[in-house]
Amino acid sequence: MSSSPKTQHTAQFLDPFTYLTLLSAVAVFVCLVLSPIFMRSLVSKTIPVDPNVPEQLAPIQLKKEPIGALRIDVSATISDNHWVTYEIQLKDQQGQVIASGIKQAWRESGTWSEEGESGIWTEDDLVGGLDVRPTKEEPITIVLDVLEYTDISGKEIDQPVPFEVSVVNGAVDTRYLWTGLLGATFLAFLAILVTPFSGKVILDKSIGDSDIGGRGILGGAKNLIRVTVKIKSDEHSPRSLTVLLVINDGNGEQLYSNRHPVHLSFNKSEGGKVTSAKGTLTTFFILEPRSSYGFHVEVTPDITVDRTRLIVRDHCKTLFPVSVILLKSTQ
Amino acid sequence: MTKFFALLAILLAGTTLFYGLTQQSALVLRQEKQDNHWIRNGTQTSGSYRGNAWVASPTRQTYGGFRGGGSGAGK
Repeated sequence: MSSSPKTQHTAQFLDPFTYLTLLSAVAVFVCLVLSPIFMRSLVSKTIPVDPNVPEQLAPIQLKKEPIGALRIDVSATISDNHWVTYEIQLKDQQGQVIASGIKQAWRESGTWSEEGESGIWTEDDLVGGLDVRPTKEEPITIVLDVLEYTDISGKEIDQPVPFEVSVVNGAVDTRYLWTGLLGATFLAFLAILVTPFSGKVILDKSIGDSDIGGRGILGGAKNLIRVTVKIKSDEHSPRSLTVLLVINDGNGEQLYSNRHPVHLSFNKSEGGKVTSAKGTLTTFFILEPRSSYGFHVEVTPDITVDRTRLIVRDHCKTLFPVSVILLKSTQ
Repeated sequence: MTKFFALLAILLAGTTLFYGLTQQSALVLRQEKQDNHWIRNGTQTSGSYRGNAWVASPTRQTYGGFRGGGSGAGK
């Protein structure tokens, strides 16, 4: 007795964990994109600083913020082949230094020649920065001090160095967010990759022929079964093959018998000659009740078929909504 | 398997979001313990806290040795 197959397009077997992994990556990405909205610019100007004459900026009121920190970014403007060592200092109301950082900035250039070609290279590292988190509310003063300013021969230069200073409150450390984004994206990629292989392999048979079959105990309500047929075919393969898939119940009664066209993808040699072809058929079933079921596959025309592999998995999860064929055994 | 990836991803996203948003890497003012301080743009702190007073480090006096950062060789 054969029941007519009912097909249902369903999203109920989507893997929630794959989507959770994706969601984590999206959450970090959204924070990364939105992080500038927490920032408030306090200072943005260019000031010249004479060597060994510390230059003060207007006092800033420090506030405790739940998100981000006070970010001081400084960029020195110097000519080629000059080096400058500068210090960013934070002073409290009493004029005491409460934090300081030193940056050794440089800009160098020269010529290169290699294998008959030549050109000019320039490299620099001019930007320095401090992120600080206040522990109490207080006014502070930012001081810039040029400790040393020389050319590459080591000769001292007694000229002011212009600095572009930017002070921002609520700056988020995006280095962590980039790490999180890259890591979570990688995990999401892995999760997407493994989702089609979810579930328990009930049958995995391979044969150097076009007919293959097997039997296993599987099925039950809310149990998605994925039947995969992989075909390897030789150089004389047609564009597509037909796979006859038959499912029998425990009594040998035929529950399902249907022909599926499988398009082949061709492997070509360097000269453009077809060397072999392969194709995959993936179908989804719900078989009720849980019992012994037989699966049989016949590939036609069989003349070019080198190898046929039948894989049946149960308790599967999917990446996208899929069409599921519902079969009930009346035994 | 995807359960494991999801758990890892949530842990990673949660930790990096927390550290990034609350700026765990920033220098905490007037605090001797600086567990998570992570310098930015190669700017070394030139001192540290003793109690809550900033003490310039001894190397602060020897900065004069800086001889440029470039490889000099270029390409």
